[in-house]
Amino acid sequence: MISFTLNGKPVETDAPADTPLLWVVRDYFKLKGSKYGCGLGICGACSMRVDGRSVRTCILPVSAVADRAIMTIEGLGTKSRPHVLQDAWVAHGVPQCGYCQSGQLMSASALLEQNPNPTSEQIDAAMSGNICRCGTYPRIKRAIQDAASQLRVDSGSGDSS
Amino acid sequence: MTKPKKQTRRTFLKLLGVTGAGLVIGVAVTRDRSSPFPTNELAFEPDAFLQITPDNVVNFFLPHAEMGQGVYTGLTTLIAEELDISPEKIRVHHAKAHAAYGHPEYRMQITGGSTSIKVRFQPLRQAAANARALLLDAAAEQLAAPRSGLTTADGDVVWNGERFPYGGFATTAAFLKLTDDASLKEAAAFRYIGGNTPRLDARAKTTGEAEFGLDVEIPNMHRAVLVRCPVIGGAPKSVNANAARETDGVTDIVTIFNGVAVVATSYWQAKKAADKLDIEWDYPPLKGKSSAEIRSAMEAALEHERGKKIHVEGSGAAALDDTKSIVEATYWAPYLAHAPMEPMNCTVQIEDGKCDVWVGTQVPELARGLAAFHAGIAKRHVTIHQKFLGGGFGRRGMADYVSEAVAIAKESGKPVQLIWSREDDTKNSFYRPASLTKYRAGLDSDGRIESLSVKRVGPNILPHIIDHMVDGILPAAVPDGIVAWLGDRPHSVFKSLAGDPFSVEGLFEDYDIANKEVRHVTQDPGLRASYWRSVGHSFSGFFKESFIDEVAAKAGNDPVDFRLAHLSPDSILRGAIELVADKGAWAAERVPGVFTGFAAHTSFEAGVAQIAEVSIENGNIRVNKVTCAIDCGVVVNPDIVKANVESAIIYGLTAALHGKITLADGQVEQSNFHDYTVIRMADSPQIDVHIVPSSRDPVGVGEPGLPPVAAAVGNAVFAATGQRLRDLPLKLA
Repeated sequence: MISFTLNGKPVETDAPADTPLLWVVRDYFKLKGSKYGCGLGICGACSMRVDGRSVRTCILPVSAVADRAIMTIEGLGTKSRPHVLQDAWVAHGVPQCGYCQSGQLMSASALLEQNPNPTSEQIDAAMSGNICRCGTYPRIKRAIQDAASQLRVDSGSGDSS
Repeated sequence: MTKPKKQTRRTFLKLLGVTGAGLVIGVAVTRDRSSPFPTNELAFEPDAFLQITPDNVVNFFLPHAEMGQGVYTGLTTLIAEELDISPEKIRVHHAKAHAAYGHPEYRMQITGGSTSIKVRFQPLRQAAANARALLLDAAAEQLAAPRSGLTTADGDVVWNGERFPYGGFATTAAFLKLTDDASLKEAAAFRYIGGNTPRLDARAKTTGEAEFGLDVEIPNMHRAVLVRCPVIGGAPKSVNANAARETDGVTDIVTIFNGVAVVATSYWQAKKAADKLDIEWDYPPLKGKSSAEIRSAMEAALEHERGKKIHVEGSGAAALDDTKSIVEATYWAPYLAHAPMEPMNCTVQIEDGKCDVWVGTQVPELARGLAAFHAGIAKRHVTIHQKFLGGGFGRRGMADYVSEAVAIAKESGKPVQLIWSREDDTKNSFYRPASLTKYRAGLDSDGRIESLSVKRVGPNILPHIIDHMVDGILPAAVPDGIVAWLGDRPHSVFKSLAGDPFSVEGLFEDYDIANKEVRHVTQDPGLRASYWRSVGHSFSGFFKESFIDEVAAKAGNDPVDFRLAHLSPDSILRGAIELVADKGAWAAERVPGVFTGFAAHTSFEAGVAQIAEVSIENGNIRVNKVTCAIDCGVVVNPDIVKANVESAIIYGLTAALHGKITLADGQVEQSNFHDYTVIRMADSPQIDVHIVPSSRDPVGVGEPGLPPVAAAVGNAVFAATGQRLRDLPLKLA
């Protein structure tokens, strides 16, 4: 049995220890928001937050997350209580097919927690592990910048522009 | 409203004597007496698209696949406009496979060819207007009010200032005689069309709630992984499955038409077991072929074969004989895979003589036909449950993964979800065909093109598509032998046609030149090929627009002026070229180190022009900015049009700078995103999209942004370096 917290709730699983976290979350816990895209950790569709960091879970054995805190897209926000990034995603019309967007949002949310005022280059770097074949990158970037300024305003530390 | 005189894809197809997919699809049109959605006898159900229930729910059954292009919002907006209700208040459902949802032009349920808004613009508005008229009739009856005193407002009937929700009149409306000619709004009265309704699926696609094919769960669902022949088209000869069978979780190992499948209780177990299969293959003729040989064979054909004459204007290529000043150049585009983010997958349950299929597909009716064939069950007992598509780009216009999943479910007797790996996806696509094309242009003494000859060498996609469809469009009762025989027919049927329109579309139509001749040499090494975003235009846009740029340079003319001088007066490219030249400041100086390139192309009846701004950094091409103008007729949702164009530009840039599928010993060499590289955020340019105001009916949007971009970048590279890059992907020498 491997125990960890999943979106704030303690859970345990008897999945084989080498099973990637992605498939444990999808097939055992039935949370389907995190996607399979490449199986090599190079497209980012499977990104989850592991102790806050955005991690590629299609190559992360579940045994490696024992006692760690996992957050998936389902834990980021909901339709009724969305994260500021989720609102920005809707406002900027980001999703097209939408398949990669859970992963994009997990990477973006990890970035803003570490760096509430990222430059364009810092956004590029933080999002470099997430592919979108619909090419929503320009809108993702605008949504992140918009959400960042929103967060700065909310926390009272923001620029006034 | 002026109709462009230019040949559209449709008229061109007719010219060649092939009504596109209709050639094949005509066979599939059958009466379907089953209900297209779960009926409710108290609800108002005027047609296959709409259902209004007494508890005031407006259900819209979306006849096209949502794969990112935005039909979920765009088509719902059409309903909203004439039903007079906010789009957000309409509950959208993916329609199942049913003849009632047949594409008005293709005559089968298909999402493709950038046509969804175009072909539904009139019929869906009419359907909604008819429904609204009947609701008003019902309200007049129920409220004992004069019909002329009633109006509607956002989902309510209004009478004497009082509002009554539509649902209250649904049951009465259900018993009234249907009308089919309610009048439609004038464009000036549009409330939602032309507005930026936020995507109706955006919220679900940011919370993880949107259900894609891969997310389907059904009771007792097993996962399947299929091992296919390393050379596409091969079949298993013998299998040693001992080690795989002993793997934890494995329940079945079954051999199907193209491979050996492991069925297990979880995906990871199935995948690990599949790695242990030891299979001997019967290889297809493609084995042994390499990309270098394929290209030399095409080069030899270009040199030595005259090819079949596809199209002639004026005195054709003969006019070149009298011309002193001739420009010629040869261009190459490689095979490409689509690589949508969601690898192919399909979930199937066969039980009690019925087959249920959960899948994201651009071709639900074909999927149903193939499922029926492989399950050995009549089509009427097969239900396709459509899901959101994690990208389509034409890949999901083929339903091979449905055939596989159904065959595995049948052989194993289990409900299964077949999951392709990324490697499966890259190595088993239906590829954009490689193409080699030579242009020759003759200039008159004023530096104007007076004659143009084009010869394209490469595979045609139609025979591959027809092959793929045969099992799905014939009744399941037709014996295998006859199906196999028919499967071979299209190749010979095809030989008698002038040509495959997808092989030459876009190579020659855009410019007004007195003498034109288009020839085609078919060279097909046997790698399966099909639709890839913008189809033939994906290479012809690069070829034609690189060449016109070379000719303009040779004639000593500005690229924009030269193009404008060769357009017919009513060309739909004119507005796009003029708008982009203005918005993108074509005539303006750039900062040192930044160079511009221009390209324009008509596809799917839309005119698109682009300016690429490029710099060369450490010997690499960097695209900093693309400015684009599109004339796509009346715009239903400007922001979604812009998003589609941005998407097509970035998808096209991946092809321009990186995309290449190659063969070694018949096997596709690329496997995943490390060796089939795609554009990431840091390499994504700034993109500005401008829409040409237009009152003509809507045309294509999802694809037309793609064809010009590689040429615009290549032409900018010429401005920067003096090098003409004639091979895709573009690489500096």
